[in-house]
Amino acid sequence: MEISELKTDQCVIIGITGRLDTTNYSILEKKLMDMIDSHHDKILVDCAKMDYVSSSGLRILLMALKKITMAKGKFVLCSLQENIREIFEISGFTNIFEIYATQDEALKVF
Amino acid sequence: MIILFFPLVIAYASSSVLLLLKAQKEATILTEQTITEFENVLQPTELVPQILAQAMENPNISYVEVLRIARDFVDHDPVVFGTCLAFEPYTYNKESYWYAPYAFEKNGRLKTRILGSADYDYYKKDWYRLPKLLGKPVWTEPYFDEGGGDTLMCTYSTPIYRVINGNRLFTGVLTMDVSLSGFERMVKNINIFETGYGFLVSGKGRIITSPKSVMNNQNILDLAKVGGGRETLVAIRSMLDGKSGFNKMDGLEAKKNPSFLSYAPVAQTGWSFGIIFPEEELYDDLYTFLKFMSWMFGISIVLLLFTTIMITRRMTRPIVRLVAATHNIGQGDFHAKLPVRKSKDEIAQLTNAFSVMQDHLQSYVLNLQETTIAKEKIESELNVAHSIQMGMLPRGFITPANWELYATLDPAKAVGGDLYDFFYLDPDHLCIAIGDVAGKGVPASLFMMVTRTLLRAKAIAGIPIAEVMQSINHELCQDNPNEMFVTFFAAIVDLKTGEMEFCNAGHNYPYIVATGEDIRQLKARGGLPLGVNETMNYTSEKFCFKPREILVLTTDGITDALNTSNDFFGEPKLASTLAAMANKNTKGLTDSLIIELKRFSLGAEQADDITILALQYKNSSETNAQPMQTVQLKLKNHLSELDNIAVNLENLSEKWNLPPKIVMEINLVLEELFTNVVFYAFDDKEEHEINLSFMLVDTHQLQMRMEDDGKPFNLLEKKVNDVFDKPLEERQIGGLGIHFVREMMNSVDYQRSGNKNVVILTKNF
Repeated sequence: MEISELKTDQCVIIGITGRLDTTNYSILEKKLMDMIDSHHDKILVDCAKMDYVSSSGLRILLMALKKITMAKGKFVLCSLQENIREIFEISGFTNIFEIYATQDEALKVF
Repeated sequence: MIILFFPLVIAYASSSVLLLLKAQKEATILTEQTITEFENVLQPTELVPQILAQAMENPNISYVEVLRIARDFVDHDPVVFGTCLAFEPYTYNKESYWYAPYAFEKNGRLKTRILGSADYDYYKKDWYRLPKLLGKPVWTEPYFDEGGGDTLMCTYSTPIYRVINGNRLFTGVLTMDVSLSGFERMVKNINIFETGYGFLVSGKGRIITSPKSVMNNQNILDLAKVGGGRETLVAIRSMLDGKSGFNKMDGLEAKKNPSFLSYAPVAQTGWSFGIIFPEEELYDDLYTFLKFMSWMFGISIVLLLFTTIMITRRMTRPIVRLVAATHNIGQGDFHAKLPVRKSKDEIAQLTNAFSVMQDHLQSYVLNLQETTIAKEKIESELNVAHSIQMGMLPRGFITPANWELYATLDPAKAVGGDLYDFFYLDPDHLCIAIGDVAGKGVPASLFMMVTRTLLRAKAIAGIPIAEVMQSINHELCQDNPNEMFVTFFAAIVDLKTGEMEFCNAGHNYPYIVATGEDIRQLKARGGLPLGVNETMNYTSEKFCFKPREILVLTTDGITDALNTSNDFFGEPKLASTLAAMANKNTKGLTDSLIIELKRFSLGAEQADDITILALQYKNSSETNAQPMQTVQLKLKNHLSELDNIAVNLENLSEKWNLPPKIVMEINLVLEELFTNVVFYAFDDKEEHEINLSFMLVDTHQLQMRMEDDGKPFNLLEKKVNDVFDKPLEERQIGGLGIHFVREMMNSVDYQRSGNKNVVILTKNF
């Protein structure tokens, strides 16, 4: 898994490439928690290149969502691959996450 | 109602008769009274001239004297207003042809004229002619005497004779003119009923006077002919004949109104007096009375009805209330309040009887409810036991392509003691078993579960089946206070070679069925049923499947099945039925046998569990067009092995042509399971081996099997279903992995086999 980071005026865009699973979720966890701790509370996670996620990865996303919601920030996802979207649906996460089809669409909400 | 009106009709009829009689009497009396009055008036009018005429027969009496007396009479009599002494020609006055001195009242004064002239030739008048002709006094018809009194009058004329020389010669007439206005007054004063009236007619029928001016001077016969019918004519003729009577008339005066006529002659005059009154007036009062009576009668009936209804209601109200209450009771409201009756009548008794019944019902229902609750509790516990028992039976009949397996357990009503089981010891070795615990109910069911658990624990690859049986037997005998036992058949089948090692602990002999071959049984005894003798040594036998052969294991629920005529299904019928179905596959054979059994029992209640397990060796793996493909991974309990799993899965996906989505889902599920094992299965820090195997059991079905020797953990028992629709604040990540496993796999099975957790997954694609 590779994680990219792009800071814009509106928010921070995190891009995930490859597999997000039990072996590497802690990398993302550290990344997100550091950002939240340094008061970056507007985060967009672009999942366009993420082709696998397990419950460990989902746990990090849920954790980030909870923390940012409490800080009255915004945490949104975009560009989920079809398979990934199904996993989100099975887990019921589509109901609690703000998910947009494209990055442009997602950026409008900030 | 008609009966009620009857007295009214009688009353009406008799009243009308009485009324008529009364009216007749009244009218007759009035008629007579009136006539008497007339006669009182007329009597002097007749008497005086008669006396004078008598006197004048004496030639010594002078006419002048007579005339003077007559004049005095006129002066004093109320009705007589004029008198005339009319002489024969040249009798009194030798020079005058006419001589008739006439004294009359006019404007209250008495005047005298001499009548008789060419214009007034009284010799031709009736009042002169008739008495002369008849030789007796005569009342003339009423006439209007223009020359004389200038008024409507009648004249009483008396002939006067003189005896001269012994000869009685007619000399003239003495008349008394009677004004009819006096009679008019009298007649007008007659009142009877509303419009009843009197009238006077002359002997010829001319109406002398009546209150009805149109009738006056008319002939009554003419009126009768026009206005009346036969009855009227009869009455009028009788009247004009000078008779007296009371008749009914059907009209007069051009009106057909029925009326009554009372009449009598006014004796000397030849006149008749009559009284007429309409019939309807006679009955007017009666009608009024009748109307009043009818009203009263109607009101009485209404009152009577009202009272009757009120009384009836009052009497039936308790019954109505009781009916309503009992209806409620009938609807199931056993506490419905019954109406309170203080009296001791039949309704009160009925109410009391209902009250007693209600109490009985209430207590009965209470009892029933308690019993039912208790029974339901037992039944629900039995149901739980039953579902646990049924839930334990494996249902994923997964075998290599050249084998086919099917099993069914049709439980009797209560929880039974049958079981079947099959599981893989390793990908090449299948353990199958069938058993029947003696007895039924929860104890039998529990004993069966213990047996099955023991089998799963003891059957391990490499250990001979006889040893497994011995071990199970030993355990069962250890603590068996109820002396329960189970007949048991278990076998380990080598799926590669078709070899089977089996041990039969007192169970029914299994059948071997194959198309084109005689059916046969494996009649080998390995020992007594399990749980009987702790020291029993069990022995095993071997059998080698030939292609197409089917091993059929059954319990005695089949052979002991009874039909309604109490015949057993029996071993011969089982054998012949199976033989006839040798060409079917395992499922077809099993289903057909159950159907045949149902047909035999004809609806008789199933007494025992019916269990069948059928295993067929279709062909040897050497000749199998697509041999079963298996990949086995031995993994360490370390997360880094996840990459290993992913890489191997990628390889398999190419080899077995798996779609990427399927691969991802399998990868995800395996990661969740593997991570779980690594994190939670081991309390120590030592290295453990986790076995993961992939089996392509069909072109579109993949079976995964993961084994670990960690703590027992049945993922099927973990409850996770209710966390996925909760809001963000309540969401927790725990359980999500197992949720993925259940959602993404087609079947998930868990077994604790020996010291191992075995999870078997299948995924169709």
